[in-house]
Amino acid sequence: SIGLAMNSAEQFFNSGHTNNWAILACTSRFWFNYRHVANTLSVYRSVKRLGIPDSQIVLMLADDMACNHRNPKPATVFSHKNMELNVYGDDVEVDYRGYEVSVENFLRVLTGRLPPSTPRSKRLLSDDRSNILIYLTGHGGNGFLKFQDFEEISNIELADAFEQMWQKRRYNELLFIIDTCQGASMYERLYSPNIMALASSQIGEDSLSHQPDLAIGVHLMDRYTFYMLEFLEDIHPASKTNMNDLFKVCPKSQCVSTPGRRTDLFQRDPGSVLITDFFGSVRKVEITVETINLTDSESGELQNESRSYVDQLPVSEIIHQKPKQKDWHPPDGFILGLWTLILLVFFKTYGMKHLKHIL
Amino acid sequence: MAAPLTLLLIVAVTIRAALFRSTFAYWIAERVEVVSPLTAWKRVVEGLALLDLGVSPYAGDVFHETPLIIYLFHFLVDYAEITFILADIIVAVAFYYVVKDYNKQVFRKQKFALEADRYPADCHELVRTPKEMYYIPLKAALFYLLNPFSVLSCVAKSTCCLNNAVVSLFILATVKGNMLLSAIFLALATYQSLYPLTLCVGALLYLMQRQFIPVNAYRLSFWWFVAQYAFMYLGSLLVMVALSFFLLGSWDFLPSVYGFILSVPDLTPNVGLFWYFFAEMFEHFRLFFLCVFQINVFVYTVPLAIKLKEHPVFLIFMQLAIISIFKSYPTVGDIALYMAFLPVWILRNVFLVSCVLLMCSALFPVLWHLWINAGSANANFYFAITLVFNIAQMLLVSDYFYAFLRREHHLVHGLYPKKKDGSEATLVLK
Repeated sequence: SIGLAMNSAEQFFNSGHTNNWAILACTSRFWFNYRHVANTLSVYRSVKRLGIPDSQIVLMLADDMACNHRNPKPATVFSHKNMELNVYGDDVEVDYRGYEVSVENFLRVLTGRLPPSTPRSKRLLSDDRSNILIYLTGHGGNGFLKFQDFEEISNIELADAFEQMWQKRRYNELLFIIDTCQGASMYERLYSPNIMALASSQIGEDSLSHQPDLAIGVHLMDRYTFYMLEFLEDIHPASKTNMNDLFKVCPKSQCVSTPGRRTDLFQRDPGSVLITDFFGSVRKVEITVETINLTDSESGELQNESRSYVDQLPVSEIIHQKPKQKDWHPPDGFILGLWTLILLVFFKTYGMKHLKHIL
Repeated sequence: MAAPLTLLLIVAVTIRAALFRSTFAYWIAERVEVVSPLTAWKRVVEGLALLDLGVSPYAGDVFHETPLIIYLFHFLVDYAEITFILADIIVAVAFYYVVKDYNKQVFRKQKFALEADRYPADCHELVRTPKEMYYIPLKAALFYLLNPFSVLSCVAKSTCCLNNAVVSLFILATVKGNMLLSAIFLALATYQSLYPLTLCVGALLYLMQRQFIPVNAYRLSFWWFVAQYAFMYLGSLLVMVALSFFLLGSWDFLPSVYGFILSVPDLTPNVGLFWYFFAEMFEHFRLFFLCVFQINVFVYTVPLAIKLKEHPVFLIFMQLAIISIFKSYPTVGDIALYMAFLPVWILRNVFLVSCVLLMCSALFPVLWHLWINAGSANANFYFAITLVFNIAQMLLVSDYFYAFLRREHHLVHGLYPKKKDGSEATLVLK
């Protein structure tokens, strides 16, 4: 019946979010920070495997490890020793690369305040029903994360950026994962609702890397992300694993550092939050034979707004506004005064005798 | 003399028109030696466009012209090229008449002196004859019109040409003896850029001598004349400032124009000396050095006036030269203005000075390119050539002054001075 169909329709929209986004950023460059790029790419791989499309992933890599001249195996980035898993496949789409990964760009992506010329692939076009996963890795300290070796983002800036996102209704729920030294300091200052945060180490602790590969010559992964990757490899789009299992990833025995988490800002119980709520893009599909009328009006005339693509972006308010072309004219009093004075001076200089020839 | 002058004007107009139509015009308008933040045409257009959009042109750091320029170009912006060519023609014709009139004055004085037998016997070769001075007015106009500096400045549509026109009209009014017009044009010149204020001393001296008022601080007639002139000058200046207020309805042209000239906030490199010093100055000392540099322009007025009180037109020339060298945003247009007077008096080291000036002018774009485009030089290179250019100008001016003074000295004391015992003495500049 219609009532039951309406009920299931409401349930359809009851899970809270309708789309998933992921922002994955690796903030360090140079060959010896291979593991940070590998971290980010492994999370990218999991997230993509679980269904989030590239158009909804903003991948920021501060350096190119796959095609680095020191890479003995070019076009690959391995995450397991003995080159078991190449996380740099054929379809990796990097949105911000090299020096484009900066604090300014990161904050602009989060808040959406990008110049109108920025392409869609570099934007976070989320709405108030988006669940966003933000993963950061690199070198950090107590209260900051280093970008590119010459600048840093502080935990206060990050908290303010998230608050801007909340006020602009840019997320429904946010999962913030950070794998750096003293990572817990980065979620200390968050104050916006619906954020859950995970970090690889507490304040005062260092996050350690997992294992070096002697063929490549660098450490391939960090411990926390390595174990998280192993955990995520067992997740598939239909699994019902929840956050409590993610919290158990990488205990002190394996990670040497103590992973931290922050759930006080999150409204739901972590046990009811599925991993795929953040890491995957799961669409609930229910087959129904009932027709459900979503519009109220009886006329049924669809609003035929021929709105072009550009009208939906914030820039449309600027480009459609034409300034009223009022030409400026000098005030009449000014012209009168000026020419009277000029005439006076002229007659004073050349005598009043010319006046009688004119009048 | 009308025919050669007309021919010269036609040639000058042709050169300028040809350059306006060529591809150089755009490049020249971008050169920092030719345009400054005060005079650039790009900024005038920007200011007018802002005004059309309903915003005050003085909002923001773009437009630094006076409101009368806004009024002028509001109607003439499509005919800008003709306006600038006309301004150059006005300068040339004004200088022509100025030099002609000045020559007449010189001959009259010489005649009186010769009749009174005040020149020593061996000085006759120093006395000017009408025959050799016949072509000097034409030469003055020629020096201005065909000077590459003024051609560049006109083609770049720098409003320096308009400032030059006003100053030349002021000199013409002064030389013709018209106190009111002289005061009005001086007020206009000061209103445009503050520095022509120093020219008032020369004008006052000239006008007083022309009316045979003794230049004596204890005489009432002196002070009465000064009061009259000051009243006319201040009155017209006030009227102009008031008119400017009524044009836009606000006073923000005052900090934008005069505050800008005096406090030099824009440190774009130019042919002057201010930018380099102030780029590396500590904030703490900025006000002090600003005062020093600005006073430097005005401080030569009184000593020069005392020394040159018999020769006010030369005083005006010296002041013009000093203003052009030491003002806060000089361009080559200002230099062209005082160079027009060079044929009127004599100069000693012509070859050296002209070579240095030519070389510097050629090196300016080269070192700019090396610094900005190629990146292999730095600001010091460009400042070095600026420094050399200014030193050459100072050398020119001081040489000129020395030659003039020496000629005057010889006219009084004889060409071959003898020591007390009859042997030949040499003149030494102390």
